Amino acid sequence: MVLMFLLSGFLITAFLMTIAKRITALIRTFRLQSLFLFFYTLSMAIAQKHIEFFIVSVLILILKVGIIPYILTRIVRRINVEENLELLVNPQLSLLIALLLTYFSYLFTYHIMPFGMSLESAVFVVSIAIICIGFFIMVSRMKALSQVLGLLTMENGIFLAATAITGGMPFFVEIAFFFDIFVFVIIIEVFVYKVNHLFTHIDISKMKSLKG
Amino acid sequence: MVLCAPLVSGFIRKIKNNLRMRKGPSVFQPYYNLIKLFSKGQIVSKHASWIFTITPIIVLASSLCVCFLLPIFQPAFSLNITGDLLAIFFILALGRFFLALAGLDAGSSFGGMGSSREMFISSIAEPAAFISLFVIGMNSGSTSVVAVAGVHLFRVSTLLAGLAFFMVTVAETSRIPVDNQETHLELTMVHEAMVLEYSGRSLAAIDLASHVRQIIFFTILSWFLFPFLNDAQWQWLQFPFKLLFISTVIAVLEISVAKMRLFRVADYLGFAFFIALLAAVVACMGM
Repeated sequence: MVLMFLLSGFLITAFLMTIAKRITALIRTFRLQSLFLFFYTLSMAIAQKHIEFFIVSVLILILKVGIIPYILTRIVRRINVEENLELLVNPQLSLLIALLLTYFSYLFTYHIMPFGMSLESAVFVVSIAIICIGFFIMVSRMKALSQVLGLLTMENGIFLAATAITGGMPFFVEIAFFFDIFVFVIIIEVFVYKVNHLFTHIDISKMKSLKG
Repeated sequence: MVLCAPLVSGFIRKIKNNLRMRKGPSVFQPYYNLIKLFSKGQIVSKHASWIFTITPIIVLASSLCVCFLLPIFQPAFSLNITGDLLAIFFILALGRFFLALAGLDAGSSFGGMGSSREMFISSIAEPAAFISLFVIGMNSGSTSVVAVAGVHLFRVSTLLAGLAFFMVTVAETSRIPVDNQETHLELTMVHEAMVLEYSGRSLAAIDLASHVRQIIFFTILSWFLFPFLNDAQWQWLQFPFKLLFISTVIAVLEISVAKMRLFRVADYLGFAFFIALLAAVVACMGM
């Protein structure tokens, strides 16, 4: 039952992220999704009684719910991005595309796991859908920061897929993974500052010509 | 159920006032209002036709009629054969149609504006409502009310449809992100503008009808949100708690968000529509 709540929570937050109009709203929704991910790993940890899962869930809580959104909001505050994100497609159409992506991920799962819908394959469908939607967020946005958030959403989906198929990756892979993400966000922070300093904006559509 | 309908409204108002650190009127204030209005005479505009006088009766009758179709306490007491979710919605839509006509009928500019806004909102709220009802119908096997109210299945699709239906409920019961019940400012009122011309007994009938409509929506919403609490014999005990929970959530939502512009409502209800559609897709997947 808790799992049902969490799965629908994942889907709803992913859909909210496709239509979020402001960057702070996007970050807040990402934080909510990571919170759902934390509860998901926590419930798995309680079910399987692995100490490693507890550590992983606490890491999710610290990194993805705490530090990464904080860093992103700090970037937003410091470089004064205008709040409005330009969407390439209008909200209704992007919701429709997200819906189609969800359906395709279901078809995909149905082809590789043709033995009925168990709970694991439901989690797998949701995770593939989140990966696709994260990719869609990256493609459909103009601002560099929202592309970072799309990538982080994809990462959430990949984590979910990994736990759905294998019941959790080895502990050290997990740790390395988190460290990677953390370093990635730090680098992106520096990079965005640099881009902003050079170009005075972070709009991708205006970055077509080279600048020395 | 009709008797406790104003209590829900009074309760929501009380919670809102308490959260704003005010004292607020008593929970029974809607009853006092109704009694006061029923004992007063009414004024009918001389430009109004028979539609204006007949509308309060039709609106109240449609709400009460739906009340009889809902199996709340005992499935056996409701009109089992005719009870269908779509029928419920069409009966409620009949009441709303006449209310919109009456808003136009009196010939005041506010009434016409209120009618046009109300029809605008309800025409985009209805697809979302219907699709989420179809989803719960798919999960329970039929759209008959008794079957739907008796589902014990807890599924992702039911939850998603429940969220969509919640968003529709907020719009249909004219709560804050869409409409504001407390205001008579001409720019913001939707439902209030439509009934502005009414007074006395007719206004009391329309008020009572909207309280009843609200409790009907909350009941249907409770089937979505609490499928694990649908035992028939404990319903008399569980039902008040469900209503309490839903009205608390609505009250907290109402004081914590600002009212949307009218054209943002289209986006909001569009989101509800797509969430309902997602629920339908998820239900097709069998989750």
